[in-house]
Amino acid sequence: MAVWNYLESLMPQLVLIVFALVLPALDYLFKDKRVLALVSLVPLVSLVILLVGWLFLDVWAMSTSMIDLIEVNAFSGLFMLVFLFVGIVVVLGSPEFIRTDRNQGEYYSLILLAITGMTIVAESTDLIALFVGLEIAGISSFALSGFRKTEKRSAEAATKYFIIGGFSSALTLFAITLIYGIAGTTRIVGIEPILAGNPAGIDAEPMLILASVLLMAGLGFKIAMVPFHMWAPDVYEGAPTPISGLLAAASKKMGFAALFKIFLIGMILTKTDWEVAIAALAIITMTVGNLIAVSQTNIKRMLAYSSIAQAGYILIVLPVGTQYALAGGLLHILTHAFMKSGAFMVVAAMGAIAIGERLDGFKGLSKRSPFLALTMTLFLLSLAGIPPLAGFASKFVLFSSSVYASIDPGPSWLVWLAVAGVLNSALSLYYYARVIKYMYMEKGPETTVKVPPILTVAILFAVVMVVGIGLFPDPFVEACRTAAEAFAGLPSGWP
Amino acid sequence: MFENIPIISIIILLPLIGAIATFSLGRYEKYAKWVAFSFSLAALVLSLLVAVDFMVEPDGSATGYHEGNGFFDFQYYEEYSWIQSLGIRYIVGLDGIGLPMFLLTTLLTTLSIVFSWDTKQRPKEYFGLMLILEVGVLGVFSTLDYFVFYVFWEIVLIPMYFLIGVWGGPRKDYAAIKFFIYTHIASLAMLIAIMAMYFQAGVNSFGMEDIWRAGLSEFGRTFQIIAFAATFFGFGVKLPMVPFHTWLPDAHVEAPTAGSVLLAGLLLKMGGYGIIRVSMPTLPAGADAMQLVMAAIAIASILYGAMVCLAQRDLKKMVAYSSISHMGFVLLGYATFTQLGIVAGVFQMFAHGLVTAVLFMMCGVVQHHAGTRMIPSLGGLSKKMPNAATMMTIGFLASLGLPGLVSFAAEFMVFASVYQTWGLWLLLPMIAVAITAGYYLWALQRSMFGPMTDKIDTSHIHDIDWFEGVPVGTLIAVIAIFGVFPLVIFQYIDPAVRIVQVLFAGGG
Repeated sequence: MAVWNYLESLMPQLVLIVFALVLPALDYLFKDKRVLALVSLVPLVSLVILLVGWLFLDVWAMSTSMIDLIEVNAFSGLFMLVFLFVGIVVVLGSPEFIRTDRNQGEYYSLILLAITGMTIVAESTDLIALFVGLEIAGISSFALSGFRKTEKRSAEAATKYFIIGGFSSALTLFAITLIYGIAGTTRIVGIEPILAGNPAGIDAEPMLILASVLLMAGLGFKIAMVPFHMWAPDVYEGAPTPISGLLAAASKKMGFAALFKIFLIGMILTKTDWEVAIAALAIITMTVGNLIAVSQTNIKRMLAYSSIAQAGYILIVLPVGTQYALAGGLLHILTHAFMKSGAFMVVAAMGAIAIGERLDGFKGLSKRSPFLALTMTLFLLSLAGIPPLAGFASKFVLFSSSVYASIDPGPSWLVWLAVAGVLNSALSLYYYARVIKYMYMEKGPETTVKVPPILTVAILFAVVMVVGIGLFPDPFVEACRTAAEAFAGLPSGWP
Repeated sequence: MFENIPIISIIILLPLIGAIATFSLGRYEKYAKWVAFSFSLAALVLSLLVAVDFMVEPDGSATGYHEGNGFFDFQYYEEYSWIQSLGIRYIVGLDGIGLPMFLLTTLLTTLSIVFSWDTKQRPKEYFGLMLILEVGVLGVFSTLDYFVFYVFWEIVLIPMYFLIGVWGGPRKDYAAIKFFIYTHIASLAMLIAIMAMYFQAGVNSFGMEDIWRAGLSEFGRTFQIIAFAATFFGFGVKLPMVPFHTWLPDAHVEAPTAGSVLLAGLLLKMGGYGIIRVSMPTLPAGADAMQLVMAAIAIASILYGAMVCLAQRDLKKMVAYSSISHMGFVLLGYATFTQLGIVAGVFQMFAHGLVTAVLFMMCGVVQHHAGTRMIPSLGGLSKKMPNAATMMTIGFLASLGLPGLVSFAAEFMVFASVYQTWGLWLLLPMIAVAITAGYYLWALQRSMFGPMTDKIDTSHIHDIDWFEGVPVGTLIAVIAIFGVFPLVIFQYIDPAVRIVQVLFAGGG
């Protein structure tokens, strides 16, 4: 049953697509649009159960893929889990936020399609499949950020995102063609041996450097790496808040999945060519993100710059280039997904109860809604890397990997990545603490506000994960370690 | 007494449970102080029992001992795996250095809660945060795993940030965020040093003992100097040492009285504790290379702190700067590397914790009753509040090192060890003694004695309240007892420091 085997390999994507196609039709059947959110939770939750049972509980195993283009392993599983978790939080946070909007069926449908694209990127072993996944996710996100057609800001965000996103796809595709031209293959694992053998007998290095630069630019747009970050704050600000959460916590992570695959497997041979450039970009990205975040007055823009900074932290993985670093990066991707999407859900709740998005709106929040104030505090402290929250555990592994890289095999410049990272964490504490200060130490309106229950569920889910991973990081570290071992070409680097 | 009971964990958990209980009181928040008080008192009683039960001359064979390791002789040792993949374990235990700090923590927290008895503003959060602070500090003084140490170390920052920021004075916003970020940067320097030690040791364990053991052969001299500098910076900012002390006056002046008591009484001690627990034994070559730097910074802190005190118009700011001066003695004692000096340094931490708590509480009393702490506006208060004036006088005398009170023993020993090591260089820190006596007596005379002030309305001023008098009185009693019988504490500290000396010399 070859057909069946093919279908089984694509099962997660097929489930998501089927539901995505059904949802717009359901829109006409139900008056109460919250049903749509519930229906779109079905594939997300069942796939999460499937993946958790496989990766963490060892209840069952996933069959290996029958298709050359994709591979199911711990690495792809972990990334899929991140995308699905964020999807759940975003879907839970949506009904209240888009209560009065039209076309809600399409909204949920597009969320599921975006996640489909991301899962394809996570599983792809081929540059073409990877590109297709990037495009599916990208086009769905363009439409989602412009969901509120009547709102000027939303439309502007979508246009901006579309133009820049299209441009970055073109650059990525051009880089892929260059790699194909040199190596004669689009299989990611196939690139390195061919390059090592140098079949054409030509000096391929300049061409490869050009490809690396184009990839850094193309995928750098996706992860909002400085200097390709300009779109992110505008889009996050203009898009519906749950979608900002999706973009910051999931779409960005897709970019990292692609970067890790291409640079740490395909282009690992030319690491000396790109490592310094990426290290410099990592430091610039985290510093610029944090510095600009300090001066923001809109909470969504502040969170946008904060996730630019977080992207800078995760970029440390590439120059360090050990499995330990990769595990740290994966762990930070996982924890960042929860803390960032949780923070965006708090902002969505603030929008739903008509407080708005300005930082001033947080003044006196601890009196008006102790729940929102406390959860937001936890998310922000976790983002700043204060123990014992999830963000500390992942930053610890991530930064310590760069310290380790300069102790074994010997002193190197890599330790400065950790120094830059912790200094930036301290800097970021300034603007996170300012929000906490507004919530607890400043006087605001006295009226109490009531958070919609479904948003409460979304926020609670994220908070449980942030505190849970912080207190019991062991299973998550182990899962990231297994996932990182899929990159067999890297030195282990485990202490 | 506690053979099969995880007593240290219980004492750490008690305030945590108390904090959760206090936070969840809802509309019964007027009972917050009672809940907080009972949990902190329970922790105090248990820690006193531990002190009684603690074996002062550990022979390594009694039950409850961590046997045969040649590291510090820790009693009430507990060990649980936490994050296996990185070799992180929750390990706690007490030795003769940790125990006095542990006692100081439970004592000062309980007394601070009593002192804050009339807090009306958000009592739930106020008392809950004080208990969380206690959890963090207790953890720092008892944990033996670097990762867990860092976690507790950072936990302390958050409640203190809120205590200053919510209940503080006029410039609380600035002071709270400055405190938070300044000390956080210092912690991060320490964190990188911890990571480096972990990897350099290469034993996949964050246990202090494991890393020390591996460090004997793995830590080269250059590595030790760099790592020592990083940890010394991390701990020194907390201490605080000149020139990294600038967060302290702001934080102290703006913090509520109980916050200042805990800040000066406990948080500063974390710095002094870290140096003796982490930096010196684990990185002896680094310490050796930086001995003179330590001594110079210590003397600079002592003199600078004392001289700045002379210029202060705010009573509380003066006490805050005096902490810088007095904590300099801790560092100076350590810097001699002698048994006497290190014991004196540890004892000075204990003494300063008690004395400075009295001073800050008395500043709080003056602020509370007279409405201002500005020395030029005060005067002749002893006529209106004779008991308060008496207590303040005793506190000031204790702090300037009057024989028979606890600070004298500590400072005298520091001076003795400095003379042993560097001879007549002793005269340099000695100058501070005269300055200290000067600023205290001068401040006392201008604020409490002399003609009654006409700058403030003195008609409503009444004497010290019971909830202020009881904690201050208790502390004064403790100060007098340990001033006359310092050996009670020395018998704990001395053997532990002897082991530190062995470690320091690289033996085991």
